Amino acid sequence: MGVIEHPPIFRLPGIPDHVTYTWFVMVVLTAVAFVASRHVQLVPRGMQNFMEVVLEQIGQLIDDVMGPEGRRYLPFIATLGLFILAANLASLIPGFAGPTANLNTTAACAIIVFVAYHYIGIRKHGPITYLQHFMGPVPLLLKPLMFVIEIISHLARPLSLTLRLFGNMVGGHILLAIIFFLMGLQGLIGWAMSGSVAGAIVGGVGGLVMIVFTVGFLYPLKMLVSFLQAFIFVMLTMLYISGAIEEADHGHGAEHH
Amino acid sequence: MRRSLMVAVMAVLAAPGLAFAQAAAGGDARAWVGPYAVLVAGFAMAFAAGLCGLGQGRAVAAAVDAMARQPGAAARIQTAMIIGLALIESLAIYVLVVAMILLFVQPIK
Repeated sequence: MGVIEHPPIFRLPGIPDHVTYTWFVMVVLTAVAFVASRHVQLVPRGMQNFMEVVLEQIGQLIDDVMGPEGRRYLPFIATLGLFILAANLASLIPGFAGPTANLNTTAACAIIVFVAYHYIGIRKHGPITYLQHFMGPVPLLLKPLMFVIEIISHLARPLSLTLRLFGNMVGGHILLAIIFFLMGLQGLIGWAMSGSVAGAIVGGVGGLVMIVFTVGFLYPLKMLVSFLQAFIFVMLTMLYISGAIEEADHGHGAEHH
Repeated sequence: MRRSLMVAVMAVLAAPGLAFAQAAAGGDARAWVGPYAVLVAGFAMAFAAGLCGLGQGRAVAAAVDAMARQPGAAARIQTAMIIGLALIESLAIYVLVVAMILLFVQPIK
């Protein structure tokens, strides 16, 4: 990425940046979980209270989307959601590399979802019945065609999960990087400090406008996108799992790609 | 109108070809790929963003209409709308990924 790329402040030699900051996110989440569950009380206070609210919200969401069977998958879904949310938010701290702004991290999450919902479906229905669901409620002649199409659409799910999260994060980062590059020491602020009168007027005003725009609009927008993408990832995971569970009852509902 | 638009598009598309025709003639036969990659990345992102905006606008308009008619179902409609927006948006995100591959990875040199 050349000129707009900047290395993070902390690097471990020989280890890619996204792995380092994935470990950071893991440490933070583990510490939060430890603090929240150290002294579990009946009347929760502090961190325990906060985490109970968060998990209760996710549980409500699961109840709404997946029905009564969904609560079994709360640990899986909530872990995935909290990790993605923390990773998205960690990438907003200046000087940090975003774990989810790397294709490997998002692909790992998506492949976990892919394997998990097929495993859940096969364990629920058995392999033969589960594979029969791929053929759908169509005449016998169309079943092979339907099978191939379903396989392709299932293979497209991890791809789209991966690219959606990755593209949203990286797109926002490139936008922020270009804005910082424009207003930084090689851009408007540098021009304002160069000593020329035109630079002080145009560069100073332009730099101020850009700083206000970035802090007041772009950062909140990125935070919104972080929450929204974590929500969407979790939501699609729930839909895929409930699709794998319920396929026997309802046939094929709307396809999600 | 349509003809002038076509002429303009062809002129834009021809510009890097003319500029790099000499380099291509000089021996580096693939020197034109890079400028075209930049052009295509920009145009692709512009088309994708514009059409994605149209699609998302339709979705949001329908969802807001439904929410105004039935405020009781607003939460469920909102959830469905957000999922739909994500699915529409992912198409533009694919184009963004392709544009980034063209710009930064440059598989064809």
